[in-house]
Amino acid sequence: MHIPDGFLSARVALGYAALSSLGIGVACYRLRSESDRGQSALLGVSAAFVFAAQMVNFPVVAGTSGHLVGSALAAALLGLPGALIVMTAVLIVQCLVFADGGVFALGANVFNLGLVGCVVGYCCYRLLCGRAPSSTRRVAAVAFAGWCATLAGALSCASQLALSGTARLPVVLPALLGVHALIGLGEAVISALVVATVLRFRPELLERAANGGLEARAPASAVLAGLGLSVAVAALLGPLAYAAPDGFAHVMQSLGLRASAQPSPLAPLSEYGIPGVVSGVLATVLAGCFGTLLLFGLCWLLARALVPRPARASDAEAPRVAVESSG
Amino acid sequence: MSAVHRAPAPLKLGVGLALILGLAALPAERAWWGLWALPLLVLVAFLARLSIVGLLRRLALAVPFLLGVVSLAWFRPHGLEIALGLLIKASLSLFTLQILASTTPISDIVRTLRRMHVPEVLCDAIALLARYSTVLADEALRMRRARAGRTLRASRVHWWRVLGNSVGLLFVRTVSRAERIQVAMRSRGGA
Repeated sequence: MHIPDGFLSARVALGYAALSSLGIGVACYRLRSESDRGQSALLGVSAAFVFAAQMVNFPVVAGTSGHLVGSALAAALLGLPGALIVMTAVLIVQCLVFADGGVFALGANVFNLGLVGCVVGYCCYRLLCGRAPSSTRRVAAVAFAGWCATLAGALSCASQLALSGTARLPVVLPALLGVHALIGLGEAVISALVVATVLRFRPELLERAANGGLEARAPASAVLAGLGLSVAVAALLGPLAYAAPDGFAHVMQSLGLRASAQPSPLAPLSEYGIPGVVSGVLATVLAGCFGTLLLFGLCWLLARALVPRPARASDAEAPRVAVESSG
Repeated sequence: MSAVHRAPAPLKLGVGLALILGLAALPAERAWWGLWALPLLVLVAFLARLSIVGLLRRLALAVPFLLGVVSLAWFRPHGLEIALGLLIKASLSLFTLQILASTTPISDIVRTLRRMHVPEVLCDAIALLARYSTVLADEALRMRRARAGRTLRASRVHWWRVLGNSVGLLFVRTVSRAERIQVAMRSRGGA
């Protein structure tokens, strides 16, 4: 998702560069005011960690492969301002040393992968964690946050390409969101595994990261927060109900299949729409909401599988031993 | 070390950025004007004694994304023209950036950033990242070798689990390394 040079118009690139520098400025200010500068080594070496972790490739469908971005993971491990600095450092080095992602598009890339990724990831993570999270809840939260952050980054990338006039939004948005919904799954699984491992060896690191950012307004339950977030994601998907058939029709037109294909793009939508809901937009939103909730449930199951039982063994250990010995 | 390598970093960054900015400002229909910069770039690459094959190979790494976006641009009125223009602009910018990146050491870049009053926290992070990325890559390699020595083979589910475990362990080791570095810095009178 690193945008190379040449795809963004000058106005868009400069505008996003300004937005990103504003965000970095705020992050630097918060870091300076809150810590005793004792964190500089941690941030630098963590940046090297994210850099190394991004080299991990995993297969996505049809021969393409995705790699970890790690903005939500960094936000969970280092807190919001620290994660933003770390992601920015990684992107600058990738751009200027490895020519990965454009130098003129750097502002836009920092915005997508750094600012949007960290803020969305951190907010999801804190919202789902609540005030005194169990290990399972932390792992589930970081998995879901990783998926949301990837999708949000793709959304912002698509809108930049569309604003620059490189591609039309109805074409580029479904393409990018579709691929990144899959890449986000890999991101979610790896983030969850990493946090589960860190919880096993150095659980205090996650406590510390939580103190260095916004204070969470602990919601009533993880389920409620998950519901709210999935509604938010679904609201983002709403425009797709308009966009997808339009983009599809356009592809058909440019391929010269206009005459025969004209009525068909709309037909499946009305067929798969939920009965009683007339509007295609609403149907897509509901479907998106359902999908996100399903994903949230999967994250929870993953977390249950990853976090070993002894995590809350203090009160459960004795009775279980008794039962086993009697049986 | 060629003359291009020795040239001051701010000058190189400035010229490179100006060229890329110029390319970005070209309208898509006039993108082939950018090809005038190609002889200049080839000349600089020749002066810097960079291997053209190496540059092309790294250019090829970015091709999937380039082609992906270019093919999306196709679905517009005058799509072919715009797609070709985008391809020219993007490849030329990438070529410029590659020459810039392979002739400018990271220490010069950090020094330039500091002179541009980029916040100190960010500069420190970049400097440490440049220094420790190879150290951590070596550490990851050692961990993988140790794991390969202990495990016979892995199923697909196991593969994910091992992957996540080793990345997590790498973070734990990263933090303890950072703590040691912090102590070392402080005992030498640093931050």
